[in-house]
Amino acid sequence: MITLTSLPLAEADQEFLDKVIAQRGGRPGALLGILGKAQDHQPRKFLPRETLEYIAAKTDTPLARIFSVVTFYALFNLEPQGKNTICICRGTACHTRGSRELLESLMFKLGFHDPDDEMADKISLNTNDGKYTIRTVACFGQCALAPVVEVNHEVYGHMNEQTLQRELEHLGRETAKK
Amino acid sequence: MRPATTNVKTLKIDGRDLSGRQEETILEVARQNGIFIPRLCEMEGLTDVGACRMCLVEIKGQNRLLPACVTAVEEGMEVTTDSERLQNYRRMILELLFTERNHVCSVCVSNGHCEMQMLAQRLGITHVHFPYRYPKEEVDASHDRFVIDHNRCILCTRCVRVCDEIEGAHTWDITGRGIDAQVITDLNEPWGSSETCTGCGKCVHVCPTGALFEKGRSVAEMLKRRQFLPYLTMMREENE
Repeated sequence: MITLTSLPLAEADQEFLDKVIAQRGGRPGALLGILGKAQDHQPRKFLPRETLEYIAAKTDTPLARIFSVVTFYALFNLEPQGKNTICICRGTACHTRGSRELLESLMFKLGFHDPDDEMADKISLNTNDGKYTIRTVACFGQCALAPVVEVNHEVYGHMNEQTLQRELEHLGRETAKK
Repeated sequence: MRPATTNVKTLKIDGRDLSGRQEETILEVARQNGIFIPRLCEMEGLTDVGACRMCLVEIKGQNRLLPACVTAVEEGMEVTTDSERLQNYRRMILELLFTERNHVCSVCVSNGHCEMQMLAQRLGITHVHFPYRYPKEEVDASHDRFVIDHNRCILCTRCVRVCDEIEGAHTWDITGRGIDAQVITDLNEPWGSSETCTGCGKCVHVCPTGALFEKGRSVAEMLKRRQFLPYLTMMREENE
């Protein structure tokens, strides 16, 4: 069951949404763009309940329609995302080169122990401390570099547990600095 | 008033010479002439989505099967609505629907009045060839008068369409994709706390199975009144 996160909408955010809606509103298919902009604007890259309700009211879109759209597309997040996003490829090439083991060890290191999660086709998990988000994708199109891991939108090829561990330590230091 | 230059198409359905207006679908023409084509998602008065694939028909000269509910009639078409091939397809679709959620007729409010059960009986389905999934689906009884049992939902989206197109409330929609898809009210809230729901009950009466029903109904007691929809559409058209 998907639940929405509550986060009151500040006045500045309302103004931002008004502007986006004024730019795009009224055209068919505008909703996707508006939701995308709203999510990018949010520092934690997600769509809180209040934002969805505000967009629904301003664009005269039914609430159910909005919920349908944000749960259909994987690009929309309903939970606050971690500061660092680690995305592991689960495509065929990466799978044969050990991406399952990479994923399992990463999940274990970040404190996820639910075997149901490990078996899921698509993973999107956030650590409680708000530092990390783990995701899986079907393919990055970089199969020659298998197994591929994307860390904060940078693609790393030929990963193994050691290099991933090094990357994780690096991220930990960087995040602590900020 | 329809334009005077209505284009009439003549076609053959199951060997019978019939005619229909060019904007009419095969299913509509068949229905007007008393030819039965099974369907689960289509309903007179709602837009057609062609989702359930029960109304697939054979058209002479075309190798692939076409859904009768969204295929417009064409001049010289020769349509077959019932054949062994079609029966096999329809049986498989129904079997997959039965395995996808928990359809237990013996404890269902719609037992004896269920469209899916009726179609299964017509096709002589006594058992299914696929393993049951037995998902754990929720039952939402938070509404004063109605209940939704997701275990019996086949995702035909009739409730979504009737609520949007006829009632104008758009309380229902579909969340998720594929096997995770589910009908929801508003922002996935309990039906009872929905602010947009008018409590009209149209969704309950268009639901082909026992997924939507009135509170207080026991096994086989939920009779659905579908007549309201063509009547309402007719009255609205007259008033226009």
